[in-house]
Amino acid sequence: MMKIAVLTGLIGRAALWTAGTGLVLMTVLIAAQVFWRYVLNDSISWTEPASVMIMGWFIFLGAAVGIREGYHLSFDVLLYVIPHKGKMFLYSLSDLVVTCFGIGMIWFGWQLAEKTAGNTLPSLGISGAFDFIPIVAGGVLVALFSVERIARRAAGLPTARFGDDNSEAT
Amino acid sequence: EVTLRSSDTHPDGYPTVAAVNHMGDLLEERTDGRLCIEVSHSAQLGQEKDTIEQTQFGVIDMNRVSLGPFNNIIEETQIPSLPYIFRSVEHMHKVMDGPVGDQILEAFSDHDLVGLAFFDGGSRSFYNSQKPINSIEDLAGLKFRVMQSDMFVDMVSALGANATPMPYGEVYSSIQTGVIDGAENNWPSYDSSGHFEVAQYYTLDQHLIVPEVLVMAKSSFDKLSAEDQEIVRQAARDSVPVMRELWAAREAESEARVRAAGVEIVTDIDKTPFIEAMVPVYEKYVTSPVLQQMVADIQATE
Amino acid sequence: MELYVLFGTFVFLLLIGTPVAFCLGVSSFATVAYLGLPPVVVFQRLNSGVSVFALMAIPFFIYAGDLMVRGDIARRLVALAGAFVGHLRGGLGQVNILASVMFGGVSGSAAADASAVGGLMVPQMKERGYGVDYAVNITVVSSIIALMLPPSHNMIIYSISAGGRISIADLFTAGIIPGFLLAMSLMTAAWFVAKKRGYPTEKFPGLAMMGTLFVSAAPGLILVAIIFGGVRSGIFTASESSNIAVVYALLITFFVYRSLSWHDFVEATFAAVRTTAMVLLVIGCAASFGWLLAYLKVPAAMVEMLQGVSDNPIVILLLLNVVLLILGTFMDMSPLIVITTPIFLPVATAFGVDPVHFGVILILNLGIGLCTPPVGAVLFVGCAVGRIPIFDAVKSIWPFYGAAFGTLMLVTYIPALSLWLPSLFH
Ligand code: NA
Ligand code: NA
Repeated sequence: MMKIAVLTGLIGRAALWTAGTGLVLMTVLIAAQVFWRYVLNDSISWTEPASVMIMGWFIFLGAAVGIREGYHLSFDVLLYVIPHKGKMFLYSLSDLVVTCFGIGMIWFGWQLAEKTAGNTLPSLGISGAFDFIPIVAGGVLVALFSVERIARRAAGLPTARFGDDNSEAT
Repeated sequence: EVTLRSSDTHPDGYPTVAAVNHMGDLLEERTDGRLCIEVSHSAQLGQEKDTIEQTQFGVIDMNRVSLGPFNNIIEETQIPSLPYIFRSVEHMHKVMDGPVGDQILEAFSDHDLVGLAFFDGGSRSFYNSQKPINSIEDLAGLKFRVMQSDMFVDMVSALGANATPMPYGEVYSSIQTGVIDGAENNWPSYDSSGHFEVAQYYTLDQHLIVPEVLVMAKSSFDKLSAEDQEIVRQAARDSVPVMRELWAAREAESEARVRAAGVEIVTDIDKTPFIEAMVPVYEKYVTSPVLQQMVADIQATE
Repeated sequence: MELYVLFGTFVFLLLIGTPVAFCLGVSSFATVAYLGLPPVVVFQRLNSGVSVFALMAIPFFIYAGDLMVRGDIARRLVALAGAFVGHLRGGLGQVNILASVMFGGVSGSAAADASAVGGLMVPQMKERGYGVDYAVNITVVSSIIALMLPPSHNMIIYSISAGGRISIADLFTAGIIPGFLLAMSLMTAAWFVAKKRGYPTEKFPGLAMMGTLFVSAAPGLILVAIIFGGVRSGIFTASESSNIAVVYALLITFFVYRSLSWHDFVEATFAAVRTTAMVLLVIGCAASFGWLLAYLKVPAAMVEMLQGVSDNPIVILLLLNVVLLILGTFMDMSPLIVITTPIFLPVATAFGVDPVHFGVILILNLGIGLCTPPVGAVLFVGCAVGRIPIFDAVKSIWPFYGAAFGTLMLVTYIPALSLWLPSLFH
């Protein structure tokens, strides 16, 4: 389990760096658009759709990492009044539901990509399927990290709690 | 008893919404209440690109959309979106009611959709804050906002002006602050957006007369009996004259309001140089023999 | 029945601790399956819900805020605020509030305000003999000011949740007078509490010192002008001006102040990724939830129901405020904006309330919710900064809740407070 945890840790780190690079790239692209429009008096038409696509990547990857690190908004007042065993059961139920949603992101995201593969995206000139690749990739990580949470809990390892500032996971 | 769910981005009472509601009344009457239509207006179910996908997947049953979002999906829909392809609104009606219109409606069937009817979307012309446009030379160097589409950017460049794609909501203040000189739209939008307050010169060059389309989900259509399918098709056809009447009334109303505000309007303009300037645009976008034939057919329609 | 599936699944998942975004997504999924619709629509809405250019202002404004906190801009603004109001009764308490006004002009995050201004002010206030509860109370409630003054990414979330038809420039402008009104009510409350407890005042530092502090803080203040001026004049879109804020903050902190190390930069970037991914995933999943609300015609039913309760706008507005305050004690701001806007905005407009005015009411109301237990993100931050239990902070917070609630009532029932300033630009 520890070995797997090291591996998922690396995947999470890589996803976070990718998302961070995406944010910086978005900043650069829109800055270029502003510069071209207001200083060079010309307009670039692809920076806006390209940035929106990068935003999709960084949201879905960043959100998946949030499952591992436990930085999602949540509300678990009920769990304060429930005995430890029941709490662990409900946490795992919640992680299971999130896993299913991640699988849904993969499955239905893929269907959408297939259906739109023949379209061309305006200004970018690439296949419409690219619109849905981020949700599929995010779904893979959402499912992976949720399963990891269930496995860690079963193995008695610490799991990040949603809503905590300092996560226990590394 | 089946309720067909239809989407529209326009608000309640808008001609397209009213026309689909009218079609629903016809359906209810002709099927003794077995079929009816419920319109979700004001983009409640999403923007056009999204609702098209929803219709393809059969999440919703019907959809009233512009042809623009289809341009990258179905190549035949590009033809009515070509600048100056129609000589007048009457010419457009004739073409879309004829074999070319049927050919385009037929093309939807390869994409899990059934094309039912074409509605009017008005004719778009240029307006600006600088000077009256009487000839193509007057356009030189002016900056116009266009919709985010490569073809419209190319059209404006071919006319010698500069195209700036930007969101519709930013246009008013951008004209006011001089970031752009003008934009292009039809009478009702020129009126309702208030753009006529800041861009006082309107030239009716009618560069785009793009119809809109009413489509149905193939999965929903296939669930109906052959008899009901024909009733649906006929009711859609019967809603078209109603729609055209409502649209004309709305256009006249907007025109009267804008004229009363003292806007300078150029009506009689020689469109020939404008049309001639479109040669490179047509070369770029009318690529396949099928499309070239369609253009020829449209030009041959009297 | 569909509504029971939708809301039942949502509440159940919320109670067992599922992140809010997934509560929204999964309950939408369950309802779509129950209705027999193709589930693909849930993921299509999720994807297009986050593929909106106007949303880009949210990561950028949050990113700019993270850079400013780590790059010394916040500290200089606090120092300048000290020179202005330190000599008033309740000295450092007043400084804390004015600093939130200044910081609020460059950031739209209440949590960032509480950690940045609170992180600097609470230790100073402790040292000068102020009660920690007083310091924390002021830090927490005054951070709502950052939500009201432009830039406010929550107002952008509101505009998008309303279908993108409400002018962001108008919303930004409309929040200004209510923001200052809130600052003044809080300063008055701080004055009375300080008087009762006998807290000290600071010495006036003199005009020369004020000048020096002003110059040192000027780059931060210039940013206020760039952001507001750009959006208001229509020269920049909100997304563009938020991007300029990021670039500007980077340039100032890297080259002028030389206060941002590579490590700070990476940390600021990751912090922004974490916050925005979390907020935007909620917005995306709420797009699915909102689609179902529209499909099931919930907003129309809500309007009809409330019209049955009363036909008096004063009563309806009070009712909406109470419901929002209650929801706000349990949930965070951005999910509540995206969930409640499609339901409550049609109600408000049906009773003749301007959408811009309603936006200001909504943000102020939910801002108060950030400061109330049991779930109050800003309250948690404030208590963490002051290292006191939530119970101790809340015991003495009432005068400040009172001031905020009083402001909310004024803003609710005097539309001109919100609408007069934007009307000058039309
Ligand atoms: Na702000
Ligand atoms: Na403060």
